[in-house]
Amino acid sequence: MPFAFFDVLTDNFDAFATGFGTTLRIVVLSFVIAMVVGTLVAAFRVAPNPWLQRLGAIYVEFFRNIPLLVLLFISFPGLRRAGVEITAIVAGVASLGLYTAAYVAEALRSGVFSVSKGQIEASLSLGFSYPQTLRRIVLPQAFRTVISPLGSLIIAMIKNSAILGGSILALDDLLKAGRVIQSRTFETVPSFVWAAAGYLILTGLATVAIRRLETRYAVRR
Amino acid sequence: MKTTRWLAILALALGLVLAGCGEDDEESGGAQEESTPAAEVEQFEPGTPLGDIQQEGTITIGVKYDVPPFGFNNPQSGTVEGFDVDLGRAIAERLGVEPEFIEAISDNRIPFLQDGTADVILSTMTINEERVEQIAFSDPYFIAKGRILHKKDDTEITGVDALAGKSVCTALGSTYEATLKEQAPEAKLKLVDSYSECLESLQNGSVDAVSTDDVILTGMIIQDDTLELVGEELTQEPYGAGIRTENTELLEFVNETFEAYKTDGRYDTAFEKWIGQYTGAQPEPPTISVDEAVELVKQSAG
Repeated sequence: MPFAFFDVLTDNFDAFATGFGTTLRIVVLSFVIAMVVGTLVAAFRVAPNPWLQRLGAIYVEFFRNIPLLVLLFISFPGLRRAGVEITAIVAGVASLGLYTAAYVAEALRSGVFSVSKGQIEASLSLGFSYPQTLRRIVLPQAFRTVISPLGSLIIAMIKNSAILGGSILALDDLLKAGRVIQSRTFETVPSFVWAAAGYLILTGLATVAIRRLETRYAVRR
Repeated sequence: MKTTRWLAILALALGLVLAGCGEDDEESGGAQEESTPAAEVEQFEPGTPLGDIQQEGTITIGVKYDVPPFGFNNPQSGTVEGFDVDLGRAIAERLGVEPEFIEAISDNRIPFLQDGTADVILSTMTINEERVEQIAFSDPYFIAKGRILHKKDDTEITGVDALAGKSVCTALGSTYEATLKEQAPEAKLKLVDSYSECLESLQNGSVDAVSTDDVILTGMIIQDDTLELVGEELTQEPYGAGIRTENTELLEFVNETFEAYKTDGRYDTAFEKWIGQYTGAQPEPPTISVDEAVELVKQSAG
């Protein structure tokens, strides 16, 4: 029986590797989108202009309050039916990235609020513009306080990427590889244990990276 | 402010009560149907698989919820209906118990039997060599043919040979994954959970074709007449009821039930109701055995 367990991996290594590659690609691209858009939205949310603040708030509430799976159904079949020739991987990465961006924005915003108001006032009175204040004074400090919440978000995003493969997008990601192999071999537990191992590699790497960042930059208390 | 809150709570409570009533109605409706059995029900010893089912009073049957005309959730009545469902009812009726239908998708139906979630699986399941090693099958109750469905205005797909480079949708865990890999190795396979997702993907243009059993595809054409079947038959797909391998008593019981069902006219009535009236086909209850069915699948897969 334990031999069959390893056979499931060795016999289907190519399928698992392809699935792992697809998941890795999804995760990396979504991460970039989430960080860029998330930072932008966070900047909107703490901007002095109330309209920008509102815009940021609408973004966060929209993407944070809709289940990711529902978002996928809107972004893929919905857009395609509306005549937009979007591919499954683009729809998937965009959905996961924009969804995670809402959480990233909230984490960054909480970090910004941890920087005392006095510093911002001091910076402004010294002649820095608001964007300069944000870039030079506030965000570097905010970033340090939000490393661990951001890390949790990234790990959650890696796990959420499995929703893409399980959905109508029919992407051949790591979870899908496990399911296809399960349906071929009927070895349910080994198929998914090996898929889980693949996710553990990704989340493990993310954890190590976050630890590194924390030891280098985090605020020590 | 206070009154609105009270009204909201009242409305919620009322909703819950009404929802509860709805369920009761359904149950009592089922019981009424069941209280007029055609013949005396044979009682089995408690402790045997059939006796246990009788003692429990329900038999759990896994069916498709989204594959008309075999098993689908009727939005009007809120119950699951179809050819497979009628067969399931016949089994339950002969045992003198209530059928409890649960959704079994292609991907989870064999695990459902193995872990005891379902007693019987009636979900358009083709009898093939791999599956016979995992579970036991009843004698075939239907023989479907593998076909390809495409959009009428797509002239490029003329049959299985023209699928190279095209994306083709089928269900994860179905026999078509292997069939397509063999007959159309250059086609890009899109594997999804259910055929309703294949229909959606074909309609929104993210796949070029859907391949599965002709009857399932006919169900899609009934829903969307811009689609049509194209090309030759890919395979022959004899459907059988799935039962846990150890449960030979239930297997025998199901086979006897099907035998009676095929000969006493119920099969023909169900066929006409679910398939014949749409396709004009005549009922042809299969007479082959499980072994012959396995052979048939092997031959037709080439």
